[in-house]
Amino acid sequence: MANWTTASRKALTEAMSVDTWLPEKMPEYAQGFMYMLGSLTASSFVALIISGVVLAANGPASWSYNGADRFAAAVHFWSVQAFFFFMMLHLWRVFFTGAWRGGRRETWLLGAVAMIVAIPTAFTGFLINGDFYSQWNAVQAKDGLNALGLGWVNLPNAGQMFGMHVVVLPLTLSLIIFGHIYRVRIKGVVPPYPITQEAATSKEAK
Amino acid sequence: MATHAQEDMVKNYRYVPEDFMKHLMGTLGIVSVLVLVLAGLFGVPEQPPLTIQNNAIQNPVAFEAMTTRDLNGQGRMANYGPPYNNGTGNLEFVFQKWVGVLHPLNAENDFIIKPLRMAATVNPAITPPLNAFESASPAQQVAWANNYETALAKGTVRNGVVVVPAGNYGPVPALMNDTLKLGESGLMSGALIRNPSVVTRFNNQNYQLFLEGDPLHNAAASLQLKGTQWGIQHSAVVGYPGAWWMTIPTWIYQWPFVANSPAADAVALSIGFVFWLALALTPWIPGWNKVPRYLGVYKLVWKDFYYRQTHPAAGKGDDTRGVS
Repeated sequence: MANWTTASRKALTEAMSVDTWLPEKMPEYAQGFMYMLGSLTASSFVALIISGVVLAANGPASWSYNGADRFAAAVHFWSVQAFFFFMMLHLWRVFFTGAWRGGRRETWLLGAVAMIVAIPTAFTGFLINGDFYSQWNAVQAKDGLNALGLGWVNLPNAGQMFGMHVVVLPLTLSLIIFGHIYRVRIKGVVPPYPITQEAATSKEAK
Repeated sequence: MATHAQEDMVKNYRYVPEDFMKHLMGTLGIVSVLVLVLAGLFGVPEQPPLTIQNNAIQNPVAFEAMTTRDLNGQGRMANYGPPYNNGTGNLEFVFQKWVGVLHPLNAENDFIIKPLRMAATVNPAITPPLNAFESASPAQQVAWANNYETALAKGTVRNGVVVVPAGNYGPVPALMNDTLKLGESGLMSGALIRNPSVVTRFNNQNYQLFLEGDPLHNAAASLQLKGTQWGIQHSAVVGYPGAWWMTIPTWIYQWPFVANSPAADAVALSIGFVFWLALALTPWIPGWNKVPRYLGVYKLVWKDFYYRQTHPAAGKGDDTRGVS
């Protein structure tokens, strides 16, 4: 790579282009509810960020004595349920449609990484909530992490969990989700399988 | 390889006009209404925590049995192992040993002796039994604690004090009743969450781990939260969803060979990771990456598209091909 700046300019031109992010045309097959599931997942993540920022701004445990914060906590709770619900539906859709075809393998991989990072992101949120579910799972789940040699993540330490849940994990997850969506936009949505292999081949032969 | 991928996809499709911004605002609107309505209707599930104070008041004999096990090394945290101490009670895997003691916890000192030393400045009567215990040999301390733990099976509460049949317990009954009083007062949590170097109290490790053992496990069992009860799946408040996305690892925990393994956590999580790897590497796994092709569910997803393909007249109206 001769010139890093030239290469960066080239990459960023595509990455920051409105054509990439705000398409005015879509393939005809990418229509309907099945093609809303990814956006519904991303929208749930936006709801998580907004309600999470409200909660973080007011400080841990403020929901326990402030009604408005308790409502924000409830929105945050149902947003995470929505996030995983739509993510799972999206996962089924992309699996059943073989969405890794045509140079989209890394897109799939990033989605899978987003899913596995989302799990501790959600879990650390449960841990800093402070109710019995928090208390029990902090103490119970520590054994698994410790056994795997990941004991530096000390689940019973709510301070560390706060930093993990509010900064480290959501920031990581945001970057992965960004990469996933970026690749979806760059590579486009996977075209359908030919209905029969023979039909497709004969059409191409013409 | 590229040719093969090409063969596996239709090429003759059109692009149709799309208002992507409206699509995004639409999904955001749907989610916003959904979560606001659910939050308004159902709120957030909160099960009150098990505090040291409540536990001491409600189960004084069991509380003393737990704290006695911090003295004879039989408590869950007393003999846990890395990253808390050099015990072996919860040492599952060699990686755990390599990590070493990162979050030092000496159950006897941190849970019992230090809190009692602080309490002794308010109640000097605590000092003589504390001194007697500390000046005894470790073997003597353990023998006293063992005897007292056994005797607690017949323990009763009289005038707010746990009483056991006469025996060779040294100062342990006095210390344990003082610990019980400290627990009942609500001051124990403050004595546990200590770091003289800073005024912030972010690290509540010792408070959370103090009740590790029977108190937490019994409370969790009654709420169906233990691992063997598919615990993480369940909310602590009946009727609410839990972390249902943990279904596969939780299921693995139920496999008999995993459940009966001394390294259940390490085994279950490792197998769970293999499941995830199989998912994440799907595109690269020959055979597995062809499964959706043969399952045929895609025919339902693209039903309309295939209909238009086989009925060309149905799809007319826009001829913007191949550009976006």
